[in-house]
Amino acid sequence: MSKWSNWIKWAVIALIAIVFPRVFSLYYTNLFLAFAIFSLYAVTVNLLLGYMGVLSFGHAMFFGTGAYATAIALSRIPGFPLLPSILIGGVAGGLLAVILSPLLVRVSGTAFAMLTLAFGQLIFVLALKFREVTGGEDGVGGYTVPPLHIPGIISINMTNQINFYYFAMAVVVVCLLILWFYTKTPFGSLIVGVRDNALRMDYLGFNLPQTKAINLIVSGAFAGIAGSLNALLLKLVSTVGILDIGTSFTPIMMAYIGGVGSFVGPIVGSAVIHFLETMAIRFTERIGLINGAIFILVVLFAPQGLVGLFNTAKEKWFQKKEKA
Amino acid sequence: MSPTMVLYVAQAIHGLAYGMLLFLIASGLTLIFGMMGILNIAHASFAMLAAYFCFTALKLTGNFWLALVIGPIVAGICGVVAERFLLRPVHKQGHLAELLLTVGMMALILEIVKFFWGTESLVVKIPESLSGLLNLSGLIYPVYRLFIIGLSLLILAFMALILFKTRLGMIVRAAVSDPDMVSALGINTPFVFMLVFGIGIWLAGMAGAVAGPLLTVFPGMADLLGMDAFVVVVVGGFGSLGGAFIVALFLGELNAYGIQFIPRLAPVLMFTFMALVLAFKPMGLFGERE
Repeated sequence: MSKWSNWIKWAVIALIAIVFPRVFSLYYTNLFLAFAIFSLYAVTVNLLLGYMGVLSFGHAMFFGTGAYATAIALSRIPGFPLLPSILIGGVAGGLLAVILSPLLVRVSGTAFAMLTLAFGQLIFVLALKFREVTGGEDGVGGYTVPPLHIPGIISINMTNQINFYYFAMAVVVVCLLILWFYTKTPFGSLIVGVRDNALRMDYLGFNLPQTKAINLIVSGAFAGIAGSLNALLLKLVSTVGILDIGTSFTPIMMAYIGGVGSFVGPIVGSAVIHFLETMAIRFTERIGLINGAIFILVVLFAPQGLVGLFNTAKEKWFQKKEKA
Repeated sequence: MSPTMVLYVAQAIHGLAYGMLLFLIASGLTLIFGMMGILNIAHASFAMLAAYFCFTALKLTGNFWLALVIGPIVAGICGVVAERFLLRPVHKQGHLAELLLTVGMMALILEIVKFFWGTESLVVKIPESLSGLLNLSGLIYPVYRLFIIGLSLLILAFMALILFKTRLGMIVRAAVSDPDMVSALGINTPFVFMLVFGIGIWLAGMAGAVAGPLLTVFPGMADLLGMDAFVVVVVGGFGSLGGAFIVALFLGELNAYGIQFIPRLAPVLMFTFMALVLAFKPMGLFGERE
């Protein structure tokens, strides 16, 4: 693909993101934002699933910890500013990953999935039981999004939904760009190397546990930021939809439907699932049925996901042209 | 017996009943894992499905015993179909794809259950012969929980007999330790896999069906039973039946006494125990491989 068409592609995507809240109603704007936030979340899951080859079944613990950190900070500390409230979500997610990494780097495969599932449930139960801090089943709510205030330069009111949309979108895009460059660094290649042949990487002299731990922490921290943005969007954080097991499975579905083999796969998957949910909700309440069926079909027939399917189709198409 | 003593003993029997239920689910899970390397996330969902089948069968026939037989068997057949037409085609793609497929199956079963039976809790009525109370020298205890313990022991003995005294059991045990070698010896391993998957689901289904009257039948049942069963399998060691048995009983007691002494932290105890075990023995207490 030529450089020009690439630039045009990105320009069109940016234009859609900018124009979206001006064209569609607030409902769809918030839905679009939810799609963006879950894209970031799914990409962090894919950092482990696609790049490192381990399945995190409890990623909601990072997402949820970030969300709770932001919500608690905003509701307990008066006048807590906006940017630190997002940062604290990322730090909380990262910190949890730091605490768990000594255990998690020792295992791989099914054991890793089980261990993350167990810790995810542990955090879920803790959040339910320690109601002094987390509000139990009621959750934490009643906070407002603080204004974006940089002294001497700018102060934007974030209770305006459209302003908040642009701000959250910007955070998501910046995070995605950081993660994209992160996967392109030599360290990113090292992670793929660990996935493909851990023994060889070990013999080449790389420190395997450290490599895995750093990737885990990066994944956890950015999942925390996604959770934090979600908390700001919903203005209510409770265990359902934030920490429960379904919240761990959703990004896995997104990553797998889009394709775990590429960076944009989870974003495509997130788009597909959000689009389907919006469409399906008009006809039926059984969204889980549709999602589950699609997920099973993708696992059965398109293990490389939609992006993989698209690439294969493209290759075949161009081969035919050459022959003709 | 003194009243405090009675309380302790009652909690112990509570724990035993719950532990036996956990073991019924975990035994199928650990057998399937040992043979096929699949961690069946949808395992407890099938148990829930059996409980719903049992409820419907009871409503249609009016006979509790018949329903108790039908429910798990129908669930087992569903399991066999799922293995044959969903899991087997994915087998060559590796364990990750199989794991993900069972996640999809879990979501699907949950929605199917909500679609056909609704979301409210359904009450399964037990026959009068089981619904009474038994007086054990001062301790008054519901018969149904004792029935659960007895039935589980019966199934356990039956399974042990098959596993250790028959040719099929020998093949299964051999396939757990080395599936490739068993296949090379001319045994139709895909068929054995299917059979074991079905029996594993049947075991879980028995647990789900007998748990129905105790917990009531509701869509959250799978999560409730499933998480505990996973902890049992992980702590006991993947593929280890003996380990699963010991850990299931231990967790049952831990749960029962935890509720008595520190009610707020009872669910946390179990996961903390699991984290502690895995910190020192990543393969579980009795596991030999990952």
